[in-house]
Amino acid sequence: MRHIPEDELHAYLDQGLSRTQCVEIESHLADCPSCQAMRDGIAALRDRTTALLSRLTPPRNVPPAFDVLRRRAVEAASQRRRRLSIVAWAASLVAAVGLGWTASSFLRSSDTGRPVSPVAARESTDAQRTVASTSVAPAARLIAPRPAAGTSPAAGRPPKRAIRAGAAEPTRQTAVAAARAESVAAASRTAAALSVLDPKPALELTQLEQPDRRALELNGMWRTMSWDGAKAEAGERVPHIDGLPVVQVQIQNGERGSRPVMVVAQQLSSGQVIRTIEGPATDVSQMLSRRAMADVDTVFLPGDSAVPRPDAGRAMAMQVGDRMLAITGDLPSDSLRAMIRRLNAEMRSK
Amino acid sequence: MTDDLDQLYKSTYTAVVRFLYRKVWDAERAEDLAQEVFVRALSHRPEKPRAWVFAVAANLARDEARAAMRRKRHLTLLKGDPIAQPTITPAADDTVEHDEQVASVQEALNTLTPRDREILLLWDAGLSYPEIAAQTGLAVGAVGTTLARARRRLVDAHDRQNVRTGTDAAHS
Repeated sequence: MRHIPEDELHAYLDQGLSRTQCVEIESHLADCPSCQAMRDGIAALRDRTTALLSRLTPPRNVPPAFDVLRRRAVEAASQRRRRLSIVAWAASLVAAVGLGWTASSFLRSSDTGRPVSPVAARESTDAQRTVASTSVAPAARLIAPRPAAGTSPAAGRPPKRAIRAGAAEPTRQTAVAAARAESVAAASRTAAALSVLDPKPALELTQLEQPDRRALELNGMWRTMSWDGAKAEAGERVPHIDGLPVVQVQIQNGERGSRPVMVVAQQLSSGQVIRTIEGPATDVSQMLSRRAMADVDTVFLPGDSAVPRPDAGRAMAMQVGDRMLAITGDLPSDSLRAMIRRLNAEMRSK
Repeated sequence: MTDDLDQLYKSTYTAVVRFLYRKVWDAERAEDLAQEVFVRALSHRPEKPRAWVFAVAANLARDEARAAMRRKRHLTLLKGDPIAQPTITPAADDTVEHDEQVASVQEALNTLTPRDREILLLWDAGLSYPEIAAQTGLAVGAVGTTLARARRRLVDAHDRQNVRTGTDAAHS
């Protein structure tokens, strides 16, 4: 006779089992005194745990009325809107630079060394942080790993761009990191400059020579958006795990009107970030294989280490018709598998 | 709808404060952070608010710990002392009586791995198995195993202490 394992009894008492499992357990318990004793012991253990933990309770104060919090939320939202208008502009500029355009006249004017007011300085710090976090990925990929090559906007002349094929360099990882660092620095300088000037300066954009299409590691441009923006665009079908805070959403529009690929980054309570990728099967599998070859996450977030780790996490993918669903993260495969099944179920129910 | 969040606030605020208290060990700070969580929920309008709220709370507490560690390091560097051990030790809180019993549970809790501790606290905060699984990246089947281990370890660690100091372990 198979006895009930201890952890199953815990789950049973915690009501963490399905009805079928409960029925099985109860029918076994009815005839098995040793399991009954085990169950009683575990029930006592649960009670003791609760009792011990209950000592760790702070003194209760009256919580503020919910309206107070509502007002704070409104205030926070308007503050965010003020900052976003600067950041969105900086983000689009950095992305444009990454795609082969340079704002030569504009960048020259950032040399004027105008004094930065304290308010603008504070906003530019926020802008720096946010720009660095949202725009680094496309720029990092497309700006060549040549730190000395003058990707700095303060250089005062159009930065040269050389696109290399991804796999060629042995020191690619450190080079990409250097490019990232350089483009982060560039982005923050740009953002700092931008916050001083009129938010919509007239730009003269000059196109540099078209880079070799094959060498571009991303087709099209990645757009970063807020959770609300993504939901508005994609309707209810933004792939994500319910109950986890969304840290970032990026959408890559497919070429020639094909459907977009969406990457949704969410945060576990450990601080780890997992990413859900959904889109046409060919695009998603291409992205995943590039990741495998490149050993680098395709999108960076604040808090990610500056140097890409070689084992930056596993990916688990599931094909659903002509679309593919994938989850990446530094988690064991069973967890990823479980998450992707749940994700698929949630997406189907929408 | 805001009404749902209002309801959630009423029903889980205390649990969120307690959950945070067990990470930051500062009653006032726990309340501030708990309120911040709900303010954010109002902006983000999560679809599964209960799980979301605890996930955000855990992240805020972790950021808080990092900030405190940085501040501590900064201060100790200025004073010229060697860098202190980077853990948040429970602060002596005026409003909480740190009697032996509380301290012994704290100590016992600290013997758990961070992951086991997190899962135990989430369960004690009232989250279900699927919610705990989603938030921590565990498979649902693994939650029971983790809780079994965590509970045993907590109780054993606590009882071992009391045996050593001669207190009656049954008095709990």
